Amino acid sequence: MSATGKLIKEFAGRPAYRPLKIIGASGQLGYGIPTPAFQRGLEQSPDLIGCDMGSIDIGPYYLGSGQMATARASTKRDLRKVILGARKLDIPLIIGSAGSAGAAPHLEQTIDIIREIAKEDKLSFRMAVIPGDVPKSIVERSILRQEIIGVDGMPDLSMEELANTTNLVGQMGLTDFQKAIELDIDILIAGRACDTAIFSALPVLLGFDIGLSIHMAKIIECASLCCTPGGRDSILATLDKEYFELESMAPQRKALPMSIAAHSLYEQNDPFLIIEPEGYVDLHEAKYEQISDRSSRISGAKWIESNKKTIKLEGSTKVGERAVLLCGAADPKFIANHEIILREVEKIVEELVCEDIPKDYQLFPRIYGINGVTDRPIQPSVPDEVFLMIECIAPTLERASEVVRTTKQYLLHYGYPNRLSTGGNIAFPFTPPEVSIGTAYKFSVYHIIDIHGDENLFEPSVIEL
Amino acid sequence: MKLMDIAKVIRSKNAGPRCTTLDIMFANEADFNRVCSSNGLSKKTISELYDIPEDQIKEIQYPISMAIKYSLPRKVTAGDPGDKDVYGAQQHARLFNLEIE
Repeated sequence: MSATGKLIKEFAGRPAYRPLKIIGASGQLGYGIPTPAFQRGLEQSPDLIGCDMGSIDIGPYYLGSGQMATARASTKRDLRKVILGARKLDIPLIIGSAGSAGAAPHLEQTIDIIREIAKEDKLSFRMAVIPGDVPKSIVERSILRQEIIGVDGMPDLSMEELANTTNLVGQMGLTDFQKAIELDIDILIAGRACDTAIFSALPVLLGFDIGLSIHMAKIIECASLCCTPGGRDSILATLDKEYFELESMAPQRKALPMSIAAHSLYEQNDPFLIIEPEGYVDLHEAKYEQISDRSSRISGAKWIESNKKTIKLEGSTKVGERAVLLCGAADPKFIANHEIILREVEKIVEELVCEDIPKDYQLFPRIYGINGVTDRPIQPSVPDEVFLMIECIAPTLERASEVVRTTKQYLLHYGYPNRLSTGGNIAFPFTPPEVSIGTAYKFSVYHIIDIHGDENLFEPSVIEL
Repeated sequence: MKLMDIAKVIRSKNAGPRCTTLDIMFANEADFNRVCSSNGLSKKTISELYDIPEDQIKEIQYPISMAIKYSLPRKVTAGDPGDKDVYGAQQHARLFNLEIE
């Protein structure tokens, strides 16, 4: 019998009859899982190991291109560590948002690595896979029925933008995970998913309170980030009927009420709400109590079920090819006049490169030291040095490269009024100072749809390895 | 006194690609209450610092962690052409010098 099968059988007819121990092994699988804390976690006889592997926070490139954000070698090292740990104890391993963005190419690369590990380490197990991709036809129907809402003021989605979207995923939820868990499996790899589903789907299936399970999941999906001091080490959650307890598996990290509660603020716009496809968790009555010098007990989360299921969609589309010019400047006259200089140089370059074709590119100068990071300086002043990154997005890489190379030459020699230095206006740390980066993407879809009868949107399949 | 000399944590981050969220946390209730009751940090000052209309700013006081949170819409969706801070992790800096009476 498989790892999930054993637990389901043990809890059959005895909902939540004993506490469940869950290891949050990593909030970003592929950036390294510290071994000592993970090992200490395994020594606690856990019932489940979970890892989150992706996020929308990394930007539109990875989703659009199908590339992983993490290096293949470190991803494989982390996957091997958690697979070996889970198989040794014969407990389920659940991983969500595979390959950074959770679309088909990401899932494929993740499964590919797992196949390699199984072969190299001579492991055999049953693995469920749930693709996170959403068919465009379903979203087309939502657009026609006007049952699609942009999240946080995201503009309305047009049919054209939908058609141009390279990868389109939906955040699956705990009920989608539960269908896979019931397939008698050892490992579950999900495409784009709510991070909470990774840790809450199994406990809820075994009879634990859904509000508590999701609240716990929301905290441990970032491993020991909720501790003082916060960090990447594995965390142990012990889930009971009325509460759950948290303890970091790294001795120097303390899971204290204040820092655990504060974790609800992190990357969230409302610390009292956890919104899920099937409803939401209300945390207004949540209680955080310290039970030892480095662990706490949490209770009070309330689950409010929604009368309809909604899915948050994410999609990326190509906007062009990107090349950048990297250079610096230390001449105070150049720095003080940089706005006029850049405007003039932009004009000269446009006249030259658009002599025989219409303007087909966008130029984004960022002047680090002045306004490279934020919209405007807090206290305007002339810094001693600035770094200039001038970005071009054009239809082809050749075109983007042509624009930044020409910009380099005219920026270098532009004769602005009162110039003292006639040798060159900018410094290159190396040549060539132009870098061709490749395809640039943007989020085209960040919307919520009702899913009606499409309960089978995220269908699991089983691979025997 | 400046906010940076009272707060324990001042940070910014995306809450999704369309929203920047600012968290200001304090080491004790006295500091938290002092800033909560001050006009130095308010929807109005956030609106001026970030050029965002006050009615688009959400303010939440979170006493359990002695924290104040502001969520504001991003002018540029994270990662769009022209964005300067994809994660939104460096938009907090202009809060440091806010004067708290």
